[in-house]
Amino acid sequence: MLRRHLFSLAAGAALALGLAGSAQAQDQFIVVQSTTSTQNSGLFDHILPIFQDKTGIEVRVVAVGTGQAIKNAENGDGDVLFVHAKASEEKFVADGHGLKRSDVMYNDFILVGPPADPAGIAGTKDITAALTKVAETEAPFASRGDDSGTHKAELKLWKDAGVDAAAASGAWYRETGSGMGATLNTGTAMGAYVLTDRATWISFGNKGDYQISVEGDDRLFNQYGIILVNPEKHAGVKAEAGQAFIDWVLSAEGQQAIADYKIDGQQLFFPNAGG
Amino acid sequence: MRDTVMDMIPAQVATSAALLEARNLSFEAGGKRLIDGVSLTIREGSRTLIMGANGAGKSLILRLLHGLLPPSAGQVLWRGATPDHTARRAQSMVFQRPVMLRRSVLANLNFALSMHGIRGAQRATEAGRALDMAGLTDLARHPARVLSGGEQQRLALARALIGQPHLLFLDEPTSSLDPASTQMIESLIDAAHARGVTIVMVTHDMGQARRMGDEVIFLHAGQVAETGPIDQVLSHSRSEAARAWTEGRLYTNSTL
Repeated sequence: MLRRHLFSLAAGAALALGLAGSAQAQDQFIVVQSTTSTQNSGLFDHILPIFQDKTGIEVRVVAVGTGQAIKNAENGDGDVLFVHAKASEEKFVADGHGLKRSDVMYNDFILVGPPADPAGIAGTKDITAALTKVAETEAPFASRGDDSGTHKAELKLWKDAGVDAAAASGAWYRETGSGMGATLNTGTAMGAYVLTDRATWISFGNKGDYQISVEGDDRLFNQYGIILVNPEKHAGVKAEAGQAFIDWVLSAEGQQAIADYKIDGQQLFFPNAGG
Repeated sequence: MRDTVMDMIPAQVATSAALLEARNLSFEAGGKRLIDGVSLTIREGSRTLIMGANGAGKSLILRLLHGLLPPSAGQVLWRGATPDHTARRAQSMVFQRPVMLRRSVLANLNFALSMHGIRGAQRATEAGRALDMAGLTDLARHPARVLSGGEQQRLALARALIGQPHLLFLDEPTSSLDPASTQMIESLIDAAHARGVTIVMVTHDMGQARRMGDEVIFLHAGQVAETGPIDQVLSHSRSEAARAWTEGRLYTNSTL
């Protein structure tokens, strides 16, 4: 009986030690729901190792379209949401799925197009005027059409221009339903205009003779936000580690890491936490 | 409309030189050949009408000629050479359904001027002239999208002429307008032509064709069925397609 008791004690201790070990292992990583364009830009490859070296917390990024990232976070799949669709993010918080939204950084969208410039818009800074001309000339336009942050930004611009581009779906307006790189490949092959984030464009290796048709309109600025998934709604959320990541991203060190990330000497993301 | 505002369109000496040529132009989409081996010449200073039944390829050929669509085969030449950026700038187009910017009449003109690099005081002057030419001065501050069809088309025409084009394409510019608006648009087109702008216009209106054109290119099934002076093609058609159309027996791009 004593042996059984000792065995039970030992087993219990081992179990307790095992559980404690597991808890430590679990705390060493968090899941961030983010977007394909952010992942493809290479930003995470630059900043996440810095955070991990400092805290020991590994950040695993799930990169999907913004709409999908938000849905995943609503379902409790993930600890932090880091996307670029402010209206949707604010709704996410208002619906109780997240605790608080903070601005992190911005990059910009550009409209790229063929050298023939069928819509005659090259060089303008006025994006809604340019899109109106695209619609009037029925020049080909390739959209991501995937509910991503880029797609949502594009739809807003069409709405601001007062143009129902979706009504021309399948005609001059083509929805690829895919990520930025794939949409650029499809768009450039068909001679279409494409709205893309600048980061993806800089690193896109298949530009051919395509050019930037429109840039610099402040309606093309793309604001990123970060949100902790609400642990009261989803018991599995690693609130402490998730908040540690958010605090670091918003800190002077995190913001500097974002600013330091460059491709071909060009800064892609402009930190503006607390701005 | 004052004569002085016509100064905004450069005077050109009309010649019989070939301004725009299509050589064996074809266009395919969805597995179908919609334009099939079209060759044509647009002479400087001319008024050329493109006519044909629905689905013949009239709007499509206009887009190909203006460089809005790349051809599947063949080529378009501008003054004998492959069109470059300056060729595009020398052409302008008025669409059947122009899309106005979601802003005022004046702002629509200002945008067109800015695209031609005209800014500051000169822009204000040119915008004033354009408003005057189009009879839209009193509507300058109105949202362009609440204008009537005729007013929008006058704005579209003023916008198209702002860049002082050498060639103006028009895709059925009066098809949805009442007679009074049609007359105003036609007089604006006539005035532009009088100042040397070459006109290429799609129309299905035979009366308008007789008023507005010198030469007709009649399309059928994506091909040129007949070309010639207006009176010849409309009154003494040599092709079955043109004859059937003028006699009211051909409504769509169907097999004769």
